[in-house]
Amino acid sequence: MANISQPSQGAWTRMLPNSAAAFHRISALLTLAILVIAFSFASPAFLSVNNTLTILLQTSVIGLLGIGMTMVIITGGIDLSVGSVLALSGTVTGMMVKAGVPVVPAMMLGVCMGAACGLFNGFVVTKMKITPFVATLGMMLIARGAALQLTGAAPISQLGEAFGVLGNGALFRVVEMGDNGFPRVIFPGIPYPAILLVVVAIVASYMLRRRAIGRHIYATGSNEEAARLSGVLVDRTKLIAYTLSGALAGVAGNVLMSRLITAQPSEGVMYELDAIAAAVIGGASLMGGVGGISGTMIGAFIIGVLRNGLNMGGVSSFIQQIVIGFVVIGAVYIDQLRNRR
Amino acid sequence: MSQTLQAAARFDAETTPLVEMRGIEKHFGGVVAVDGVSLDLRPGEVVGVLGHNGAGKSCLMRILSGAMAPSRGEIRIAGDVVEMGSPQDARAHGVETIYQTLALADHLDAPSNLFLGRELKTRFGNLDDKRMLAEARKVLATLNPNFTNLKDPVSSLSGGQRQVIAIARAIYFDVKILIMDEPTAALGPSETAMVADLIRKLRAQGIGIFLVSHDMHDVFDLCDRVVVMNKGKLVGAHDIDEVHKDDILSLIIKGELPTDWRPRNLGELEAAR
Ligand SMILES: Nc1ncnc2c1ncn2[C@@H]1O[C@H](COP(=O)(O)OP(=O)(O)OP(=O)(O)O)[C@@H](O)[C@H]1O
Ligand SMILES: [Mg+2]
Repeated sequence: MANISQPSQGAWTRMLPNSAAAFHRISALLTLAILVIAFSFASPAFLSVNNTLTILLQTSVIGLLGIGMTMVIITGGIDLSVGSVLALSGTVTGMMVKAGVPVVPAMMLGVCMGAACGLFNGFVVTKMKITPFVATLGMMLIARGAALQLTGAAPISQLGEAFGVLGNGALFRVVEMGDNGFPRVIFPGIPYPAILLVVVAIVASYMLRRRAIGRHIYATGSNEEAARLSGVLVDRTKLIAYTLSGALAGVAGNVLMSRLITAQPSEGVMYELDAIAAAVIGGASLMGGVGGISGTMIGAFIIGVLRNGLNMGGVSSFIQQIVIGFVVIGAVYIDQLRNRR
Repeated sequence: MSQTLQAAARFDAETTPLVEMRGIEKHFGGVVAVDGVSLDLRPGEVVGVLGHNGAGKSCLMRILSGAMAPSRGEIRIAGDVVEMGSPQDARAHGVETIYQTLALADHLDAPSNLFLGRELKTRFGNLDDKRMLAEARKVLATLNPNFTNLKDPVSSLSGGQRQVIAIARAIYFDVKILIMDEPTAALGPSETAMVADLIRKLRAQGIGIFLVSHDMHDVFDLCDRVVVMNKGKLVGAHDIDEVHKDDILSLIIKGELPTDWRPRNLGELEAAR
């Protein structure tokens, strides 16, 4: 009897840890599927091409922030500044464009601004030894204050058509001139922000899984002292994670402002919480050492779909907050149940 | 008897020591963890480091392994003064360490831990996980043939398996000086025997080993020399032939030898003379 049951049990326990991470992703994916099905039953317009594109657009910003956040969270840190850095970066780009700088270099400068904020975060965390929570809370205030001060708290509008391409353009868009003289959209195309999100997600995933820096990010969050003793340059690893988070907040800021064709210094308030929620729903642990890009993407889409679907159902944004709050707690609770086994 | 003389001849004064620590001190605020310790290690020598809990053994070893900067003192490797500013510095001088805390990243698997900080890469700079797995399987099998769950995060492994990974990591790379801080604390009898065999094999290759241990049997079985620390100070350094276990116990507990101490091998020494 014992002889028969033992090998199968061994195989089972050997599979557990690997399947555990997959289990979380699958349950998150299942949640997403259930949400999509439920919302499309509730409102036929939910699955329409236009609404799908809207969801893609909305999710791209949370997704970009979430990717950077995931890297920081895996190192055992947190980045509360991404919402404010997003605003500062977008504002800087807007001001550059207004001052006559062409759109592409202006956007690059905006992203550099974000990266600089992230680098500063990393510096405060690693060299000044201030906890990530406090360090990035400081940057949250600094970047928001800077954005508001630079603009006098007023949005910068009339930035020209070229500025709006990143946020509103689409690849493979097919438009036909109708008989009545109005353009008719045959295929709306794939929005640039969605393409950007996919590209960034693939690169980030490759970095985390296949490059040494990725392994060092996991090792640092798993056991910082062990990583240091093993020869991992822990400080450099963290600096890179925070800088990337800042840079991605800059990218997200440019996408968002471009979509609005306005540089809004008060945009992105509380976005850091959505980004953290996306990472955590996707299986990242705030204790560090655990998390992944694919999970965070699912998490971002759960939040995006939830927001969009509830909006279409006429649910107030306050109720949405409540729902998402419960989803975050539920996701982490399920994760703990799994780990306790 | 002739063996004893051979052993003595192996460590004559002319061979340059691998390691010379001189006047090492380590202070933590008011606490003096290591108090003016000077200690040598020669090629092919196993030196047992003993002492009560909190005597400063781990601190001394961590200073040599670059994990901790000394407050004062000098370290020479093969005759040259070196700066052990980081674990990487120490490794560059061939110092490998099995830390008492094992220093493993819990969420990573055994191969990732074995190669952490020194990952094998493909031509394009990608992680070569396949090769790391194969190499890890090889080296782990020499220490524990039952080690099969190489893809599990090390947090899910037993204490002994974790210790085996830490040992494997220290011997896989080009090691000249091996620091083992209680390497068998979590091991079963057969694994402990394997580590003992490993120590003999490495010593035969001319590698110098510091073995921190509380196990008197292991120390007398494996070491050429034994040093005892007490409250941060080095209170004794003896060839293993000239002391009894009771002498060492007295050094550990009281910080001094019994008053009536005579070298254990006095007869042999006189006969040789
Ligand atoms: N990071 C630290 N900060 C402050 N004090 C420390 C630190 N590390 C060690 N100490 C102190 O230094 C002394 C020596 O510690 P150490 O770890 O070297 O002892 P040990 O001989 O290895 O003991 P054990 O047999 O328990 O491993 C202890 O009093 C300890 O409290
Ligand atoms: Mg110790």
